[in-house]
Amino acid sequence: MKTKIALLILFISGSLFAQEQKMTAAEISKFKEDVNVVSKKIKTLSTDFVQYKHLDFLSKDIETSGKMFFKEPALLSWQYKKPYNYSIVFKNGKILINDEGKKSAVDIGNSKIFARINKLIVGSVSGNMFDDKEFTISYFKLKGQNLAKFIPKDATLKKYIKQIELTFNKEEATVVQVKLLESSDDYTRIVLKNKVINAKIDDSVFTN
Amino acid sequence: MQKSTIQFLLINCFLAIVLVSCGSVTQNYTPKKLDKTSIEVPYFSDSKTDYVYKTNITVYGHEMSGIFIAKKINDTTHRVVFTTEFGNKLMDFEISENDFKVNSMVSELDRKILINTLEEDFHLLLKNKYLIQEQFENEENNIYKSADGKRDNYLFFSKKHQKLEKVVRSSKTKDKITITFTLENDIFAKKVVILHQNIKLKIELNYFKSE
Repeated sequence: MKTKIALLILFISGSLFAQEQKMTAAEISKFKEDVNVVSKKIKTLSTDFVQYKHLDFLSKDIETSGKMFFKEPALLSWQYKKPYNYSIVFKNGKILINDEGKKSAVDIGNSKIFARINKLIVGSVSGNMFDDKEFTISYFKLKGQNLAKFIPKDATLKKYIKQIELTFNKEEATVVQVKLLESSDDYTRIVLKNKVINAKIDDSVFTN
Repeated sequence: MQKSTIQFLLINCFLAIVLVSCGSVTQNYTPKKLDKTSIEVPYFSDSKTDYVYKTNITVYGHEMSGIFIAKKINDTTHRVVFTTEFGNKLMDFEISENDFKVNSMVSELDRKILINTLEEDFHLLLKNKYLIQEQFENEENNIYKSADGKRDNYLFFSKKHQKLEKVVRSSKTKDKITITFTLENDIFAKKVVILHQNIKLKIELNYFKSE
């Protein structure tokens, strides 16, 4: 009986290990190269998303969903459709908000933190944010997927985000999940699906 | 003669306005015999429910929006978190009858005056038991008075629905905070508005169901 339990524990811990395995140096450079090649080709991107806000004390994650559009070099629109209409556009150093028809704008031209967050969002979605100056990055292999973990080096950014985890589809080298950790217990997980690359996106998507 | 009559009337009117505005907050209510000595408010009291509301805050003409989350985490305490729509946490508190603990707060909002204001608001919003000392009525409501330190809280039960639809926190002469509840059912508010009378602050909460 005891041996059976020991074997079982071994098996479980073994399979846990198998789930998240560190990449070798060669695998890391191949993975980065794959992502760079794909993200360089991205001129436009649209995708559906589902956002799960996890707070440890809640019985259920808070789920919201919608569509996201990106156009080179830095036009970005997040549109929440369910359960409420809320959209936020990053455009020419401004944040434009449309909250159930109520519109407002924030000038972020001079705000370094917002500029950085903007870069971060674009980077997370296109996958290209392997900047060793900004982050301490570690790389892992999963079944059919790759995982990169980014720990911000900047103290201000670190106050808001403890760690960012990007999960990539191995074949396509594109991001399928973004996880923003605020602490060990609380995080936001965004699942991207039905991704369309380089289709024409009308500029009206980026007015708000 | 006519001139002095007008003057007299004007002064009288002025006095009347001053007296009205300095009068007790209950002067327009009719006293009634007390029919209960305590009231329990169920709207945020279920420990199994995640209370999640889309929030709009208007403060001196500035708009802010986000998500308000409250949950009763034990017999005496609520956890309250306010996040952006993206999910970033802006404030995180633990609040009970006699205690208020800030777990985290983004530095942009970390101002004593703001924290004190929110503490008073959330205290009132999440308070689920009131001891009643006096009772009144007006045309639409039965009104219960509950003393709370230097302030008094007035609980308005509509005669039509027999439900708590408004809580007013007042000094002896002025209303300070009004909370109105729009009910989904007997124990749940689908909309809550917290309105300050002495500062330009309005907090509106609209419940949303996760998909």
